[in-house]
Amino acid sequence: MPASIEARNLGKRFGEVHAVQEVSFEVHPGEIVGLLGPNGAGKTTTLRMLAGLLAPTAGEAFINQHSVQKEPLVARRALGFLTGDMDLYRRLTPVELLTYFGQLYEVPRPELRRRIDELVEAFGIGDFKDKHCEKLSTGQKQRVSIARTLVHDPAVVVLDEPTTGLDIMASEFILQFIRRMARENGKAVIFSTHHLDEVERLCDRVVIIHKGRLQHHGDIDSALAATNQARLADAFFEMVQF
Amino acid sequence: MRDKRTLYLVILLPFFLYPALFFLIGKVGQSQAGKMQQEKVTVLIDPALEQTPVPGLIGSDPSFVVKVQAFDSQALTEEKNTIGIRVDGNYAAGLAANESVILRITGDFSKDLLDGRKQSITGLLNKLNQSLLEERLQGVKLPPTFAQPLLIQEEDLAKPSQRIGKVLGTYAPMLLMLFIFTGCIYIAIDITAGEKERRTLQTLFTTPVNVREIIAGKFLAVACVGLASALMNLFSLVFAVLLQAKIMGGNVSAISLAVSAQGWVWMITLIVLSTVFLAALSMAVSLLANSYKESQSYVSPLMMLVLIPAVMAQMPGMELTMTTALVPVLNICLAIGAIFKGTFSLPAMVLVVFFALLYGLLALYLASHIFGNENVVTGEKVNWKLLRGRG
Repeated sequence: MPASIEARNLGKRFGEVHAVQEVSFEVHPGEIVGLLGPNGAGKTTTLRMLAGLLAPTAGEAFINQHSVQKEPLVARRALGFLTGDMDLYRRLTPVELLTYFGQLYEVPRPELRRRIDELVEAFGIGDFKDKHCEKLSTGQKQRVSIARTLVHDPAVVVLDEPTTGLDIMASEFILQFIRRMARENGKAVIFSTHHLDEVERLCDRVVIIHKGRLQHHGDIDSALAATNQARLADAFFEMVQF
Repeated sequence: MRDKRTLYLVILLPFFLYPALFFLIGKVGQSQAGKMQQEKVTVLIDPALEQTPVPGLIGSDPSFVVKVQAFDSQALTEEKNTIGIRVDGNYAAGLAANESVILRITGDFSKDLLDGRKQSITGLLNKLNQSLLEERLQGVKLPPTFAQPLLIQEEDLAKPSQRIGKVLGTYAPMLLMLFIFTGCIYIAIDITAGEKERRTLQTLFTTPVNVREIIAGKFLAVACVGLASALMNLFSLVFAVLLQAKIMGGNVSAISLAVSAQGWVWMITLIVLSTVFLAALSMAVSLLANSYKESQSYVSPLMMLVLIPAVMAQMPGMELTMTTALVPVLNICLAIGAIFKGTFSLPAMVLVVFFALLYGLLALYLASHIFGNENVVTGEKVNWKLLRGRG
């Protein structure tokens, strides 16, 4: 099965600083891959290169077999991307926001209406669908943000710390949804987080980046075996030489 | 339309502000003028002038209360609303000897009321001076024209519409530039630095929309609001001026313009081109900031860049030439001024439109260049070294 996400020797340099060097990994349909690394490791830069926000200085990224650099618009059409740096338009209601982004992705009108109804139902947005986004709670905003990421039904979903700032109930809701999205709808998911327990529960494989370089790419058991540890947290600390 | 603050500040407020302001200023001015007119001023006249026509002449104006009594300068400053008139030497003897008799009008003329009344007294005494001159000339059998070898009279061939064109041609271009700029800058800040600060810009860049389309959309929003704001401001200002003229008792129906149909076409073209230039420039500059607050600190220097050439265009003798046609803003102000004055020429207009278009496109290129910068895309501070385009 061809990979939905492929990072091929990705590298990014800011002046003299090598933020990312020779990072390669793949994510297949139905898979959830955890992207781990301490702050400043190069995770966000890697994700931004996958989304076409940053141009790699080396290597190439592919989304659904389309080069992000050569066919950016086609690649982005297959991608749902959410990081902590993205917020909602404050003066729009959740439904207006979903409609706006659905239109940007050129989702046909009847399909968009159906899709928004599904997302409003799935994320329990109904109670606050007509409130302006600026009046929503952190958890409600995050639900709308993830719904926005999925409004065009992308084959590939990249979520950077989607549970940060959420309470335990809201986090659980999001995690369950990500699991269903991959298992039942066959989406390829990159899940970046600092919560290693969430990774253990959710991810099929992990990609660990440290100082811009790939430290590990494989399933959790292989990470444990490679470091002789019993817990992913310990394996992670060993790999980043904590 | 949900951004009511911008809507109020940029479009509705200016529309109502000028008429309200002018109406208020007119009413207050009128009331103050009436109040000053009614206020009595005491004129103390030197007893040496008692037997002269001076007390009667001053007393003929009902706004003065005439008292013939001795006074000193100290008393005048202490007394409220008082002016003194005194004579140096002997009035009758001076006149009889065909000398100039010095009359001194004394008072604290830093006060508006007394300064105004001093003008009235001077006017009355000038009339007396004229009649005394005629008497002297009659005494030596000379006609009144003897003392006025040349009688200078002005004959202005300009029509009222041309005179209005001159005034508008001097001031309207600067106001237009100011209105367009203020209309553009705040919306430009909101949708560039404001979006960076609110963290909504990056989301837009992850959609399958070409960067050029995003820039075009934002640019059109800025330019349309800038143009709407400028037009609203201009109409409001013209309405306010007419309202003011009506309040002051002017003949409003006599006010007309002598701009030809061709002139209007050139003017609209120039207004649109200046909007393109200022909208793109506002976007380019506000994109350099990371927050609304930071970008506001760029407004004043940028406004200076716009205002200095606009003010220069008002200077006497400043004309549209090959050199001035090259200077952004100045060229448009001079060209609009020439249209109002009815002195524009086709080659000059073509030249200005060419350069205005060129500068507009350059500003757009600069804005799109900065917009495509990776730092802007990721909502970070723009790094000049990394100013490279993004497709």
